[in-house]
Amino acid sequence: MGPADSPYAGGVFFLSIHFPTDYPFKPPKISFTTKIYHPNINANGNICLDILKDQWSPALTLSKVLLSICSLLTDANPDDPLVPEIAHIYKTDRSKYEATAREWTKKYAV
Amino acid sequence: MEIDGNTLVFIIVILFLFFSTPGGDGVSSQYEFNQLQRLKQQFQTEHNVFLNMTHTDNFRNITGFKLSYQDTLNNPLQNATYPLPGKEYDRWLPNQNYMVMPNEVIDTINSQVWNTSNGDTSNIFPPNITSTLLGKINVVSNSKYERIRMPIPRFYEPANDFSEDIPPEGETYWSDWPSYGELHNVTFQHGEIAIQITHMNNLQNSNNYFRRNFINKENDRWKLLNLQIDFSDKTEKEKHSISSKAVYDIQRGRILSISQSSKFHSLFALPHYMSLQDEYDEDMFNDVKQLVDEFWNFTDYTDVMTMNDVQDAYNSANLKCEYMTFLQLEPWNQYTKDQIKLIDDELNWPLGRPVNLSSLPPINVVSGILYSPDCGLRLAIHDVKGKRYELKIMSIRTHLMFGIALFAAQIYLLLTQMHQTNTPSMVNKISFYCFSMINLVDGSLATLYFVAASVVPELYLPLVISAFSCFILASIFEIRYLISIYASQVNEQNVGIANLLRGNTGTYDENRPRPAFIPDEGSIGGSLYGRFFFTLIIFTFLILSSTSWPRQLRMIFEYILIFILNSYWIPQIFRNAVKGIPSRRERTRATNGGNRNQNKMPLLWSFVIGTTIIRSLPVIYVFTYSSNVFRHHKDVRFVVFLSLWLLFQISILYSQDILGSRWFLPQHTIPEGYSYFKPLSNQYILEHGGGTVQNTVDCAICMSDVPIYIEEIPETHIVDQHTYMVTPCNHVFHTSCLENWMSYKLQCPVCRSPLPPL
Repeated sequence: MGPADSPYAGGVFFLSIHFPTDYPFKPPKISFTTKIYHPNINANGNICLDILKDQWSPALTLSKVLLSICSLLTDANPDDPLVPEIAHIYKTDRSKYEATAREWTKKYAV
Repeated sequence: MEIDGNTLVFIIVILFLFFSTPGGDGVSSQYEFNQLQRLKQQFQTEHNVFLNMTHTDNFRNITGFKLSYQDTLNNPLQNATYPLPGKEYDRWLPNQNYMVMPNEVIDTINSQVWNTSNGDTSNIFPPNITSTLLGKINVVSNSKYERIRMPIPRFYEPANDFSEDIPPEGETYWSDWPSYGELHNVTFQHGEIAIQITHMNNLQNSNNYFRRNFINKENDRWKLLNLQIDFSDKTEKEKHSISSKAVYDIQRGRILSISQSSKFHSLFALPHYMSLQDEYDEDMFNDVKQLVDEFWNFTDYTDVMTMNDVQDAYNSANLKCEYMTFLQLEPWNQYTKDQIKLIDDELNWPLGRPVNLSSLPPINVVSGILYSPDCGLRLAIHDVKGKRYELKIMSIRTHLMFGIALFAAQIYLLLTQMHQTNTPSMVNKISFYCFSMINLVDGSLATLYFVAASVVPELYLPLVISAFSCFILASIFEIRYLISIYASQVNEQNVGIANLLRGNTGTYDENRPRPAFIPDEGSIGGSLYGRFFFTLIIFTFLILSSTSWPRQLRMIFEYILIFILNSYWIPQIFRNAVKGIPSRRERTRATNGGNRNQNKMPLLWSFVIGTTIIRSLPVIYVFTYSSNVFRHHKDVRFVVFLSLWLLFQISILYSQDILGSRWFLPQHTIPEGYSYFKPLSNQYILEHGGGTVQNTVDCAICMSDVPIYIEEIPETHIVDQHTYMVTPCNHVFHTSCLENWMSYKLQCPVCRSPLPPL
């Protein structure tokens, strides 16, 4: 479910979670299967999140990771974008970004 | 980057200024133009005199030859004017009345240097003698002979101010020169000499104006050579350098070389001085005269003269003595002319012709005299010999190939070493500085090879291959390894040595600034590469500049440098002591329960021994093999000392392996390292909360309970303290869980604080 205070509110987003054999020493591979308009998530659903990459710790649980993804939806990190165009719009024209995100949510996630 | 029109125009203008050189002859003012015209005119005049000269004619107004030795004896202050009253100009005989050398020197040349008679043509000499000859030189006399006054024509002088247009006429004598006097003497008695002989086959003038093959008519009888003669005393405090043209008489093995400058236009004197002997030979005079004239016409001698030539000639006239060099080569009578031709062809275009190149005798100067008419110096050379240039190049090429094999061996050893130590806790025990030193040597070798490749075009390919393999070794494999060593040791950066020895024990200082997060390998790599190239540039610069230092200083520098660079195991010994590796016996005992990997020494023995051998072979070669290709002097004592030093380092490493890495430290100075295995208190459970079952905590990695040993509760004392680990930040994990994680990262999974390695 998209967080209530974000343009993704009301949307239902599906994720695919893949656990590598050496989990929990390697991070799980998590990607969005639902299309989403977000500076840190690209068209293939790949997520740019440090704890899923080099800042992974084996003490992180799946619920913590999902919580991090939720908060990423609320507060995008446009300074380290995966999709620079969206990050640019996010920074310069916030209302346009929110409108597009809301539109995509309505189109793909409802 | 966007480039607008203005920037483009600006760049084009800059490039134009950059690439356009001021006209071909380097003339930049009216004065210089006149100067150059005057010089050309002077040479043309002298050439005309030369053309009309026969073997019985004296030099008339050729610069530098206006006075003979006898004229100076008669009146030491005689001015060099033409015509000199009372001087015979229609007669020439090889004695001091007509020559710039005293009879004594002429006699010595005839009896000891060029002592075969002119008619004797039974000896066979190699026609191609490109080589660098090395030998000894000693001063026979530097005060006995009268100095002949050689004035510099004044038109050579640079303009005094900008308004001057016409160069002055007349000549200046020593007394009017700035005080260069002390440069005009050889003050040592015994020294070393290097004669570099190149053939003037491929001519090009200073502006690359043309590049053609010069082949004179009697090419198998006479050759024009370029001689670069350098001699100095043994400490290289006083250096002299002569660059001159020379005539090589192939039939008799004689070389005559006369230096040329603005006070000594020696090109026109070659025919007369080539035929010194009593049985005076008109043919010889005419042959050499023809050779000089062919050279003159071929190069358009005066047409291609530039301001550079004017300035060089003026400077060398001011700073240097003029030298006449008479050399006699040793004949190669063991070969026939055809065999020599075959050898020559094989050296120039190696096709595998049936000649034995390895037994080729060196170019050997039997005897030689250097005489300076304007400084009254007489020098004798002996034991001057050297290999043919092509042979030398071939031998260097073989050495380079051997070097490449050594690089390959080193890469292989490094790869096995890297393969063996693939976890952070293993890599952590390896000294960063040990590999930095090894890396510095390889990196600077690579740069030196690259520099050499640009200097020696004949060896371009092998040098570039060497440089490339060296560069791969240094900047790919070694830097990769350094990055992982560095990454595993980042935790320790702000820990003092004492703490390191203690291994971050209980007094884990909370105030100590910890790295908030461990930088990833990318950023470490960036900073290490930066550091690598910076050090490399500084180091290479130091080495290259040291080649021009005086010998004494250079040798001290070299010895100290080689000694320091061969101490590469010292940091590793130190590191072993810091990390406290137990003795071999203890390790084999512990192997039954623990992780196998932790029970090896960080460096493989094959790597240590192999690296030592690979790195000492070149040093041993250079210092013990007296005729090595680098012309390095022999010093066996230093090699023995160096080998003992390396052996000492290796034996310490070995003793650390056998006795434990801290055996040489007194017991009380080394508290135990941090132990992950310790009992916990009840307080701990209260503070951190227990697990689902009584007397356990949660392992954050596998989410299951960890039974722990609690001091206050006797029931828990059945728990083996080795089944769980307590981090310095007081988090508890299963031993297997945390060890597994530590092979990825030395960071607490819960709070991300750095972990001391096992």
